Amino acid sequence: MLKDTWQENLNRIRLWAQTRSPWLIHFNTGSCNGCDIEILATLTPRYDVERFGIKLQGSPRHADILICTGPVTRQSRDRLRRIYEQMPEPKYVIAVGSCAISGGVFHDCYNVVGHIDEVIPVDVYVPGCPPRPEAIIHGIVQLLAKMEAITQEGSQVD
Amino acid sequence: MISLEALTEQLANHILSWDMPEPARLDVRLVPQNLLPIINDLYQLRWGYLAAITGLDHGPETSEMEVLYHFCAAADVLTLRVHIPRENAALPSICSILPYAGVFERELSEMFGVIMYGAPDDSRLFLPDDWPEGVYPLRKDAKEPEDD
Repeated sequence: MLKDTWQENLNRIRLWAQTRSPWLIHFNTGSCNGCDIEILATLTPRYDVERFGIKLQGSPRHADILICTGPVTRQSRDRLRRIYEQMPEPKYVIAVGSCAISGGVFHDCYNVVGHIDEVIPVDVYVPGCPPRPEAIIHGIVQLLAKMEAITQEGSQVD
Repeated sequence: MISLEALTEQLANHILSWDMPEPARLDVRLVPQNLLPIINDLYQLRWGYLAAITGLDHGPETSEMEVLYHFCAAADVLTLRVHIPRENAALPSICSILPYAGVFERELSEMFGVIMYGAPDDSRLFLPDDWPEGVYPLRKDAKEPEDD
């Protein structure tokens, strides 16, 4: 199908806006808070990612990237799904920490469902227990590169 | 404050046996019927505070469980060990004497399936909303509920 110029230009503007100012929402799905503290360190003035336009949002409806920590517990599974569904398209997910990737030390616990991508699709995985703020920033940069690649391919046109 | 050695004499009427496995630790065995009287005595003596309640499942082959009430006073720890059967496990609630024991009892009861008689609140504390009835996750023979 031929794309019209109007759509192409809109995509270009959208990509520019997204990659230069990605807004995050942080959700703890059952983490021990180790990763959450590292995410806070990433956002606060020592690492200061706000200079790149990266900003924490209170509402999933205003966010582009869902940043998840911890294994998914039975109690948080539906809440995670609901938050993901509330986010506007295009939306991306970063899983931060060993538990978010594999369940980590909690993997066989009675109230743990498993890792994040058993419930929602994940775009970037940041390993570590907990990962350092540099690693989290690296993860976000990887995601921005991915966003650019996806939009330039034009496959993301929904 | 009464020393642990003196405490064994004070509580002698209500206990089966006692043991000091380490300095500043006193383990006391008692039957469930004596639980409320002994806690009342400790309360009257103003000895320490209830720090935690532990559940111990000795497994299906023993058909026995243990509930441990830990009281702390400075460096001293007094542990009341109550043996109860695994089937129809039940104990009297101590909330009438120590109201703050409620949260410990609720956790014990949801994790181990011990019924707390006379508890002011016996609802669940930590388990997920969709957790099935009658599955007690910290029992040795607990089966994980199926994922939907």
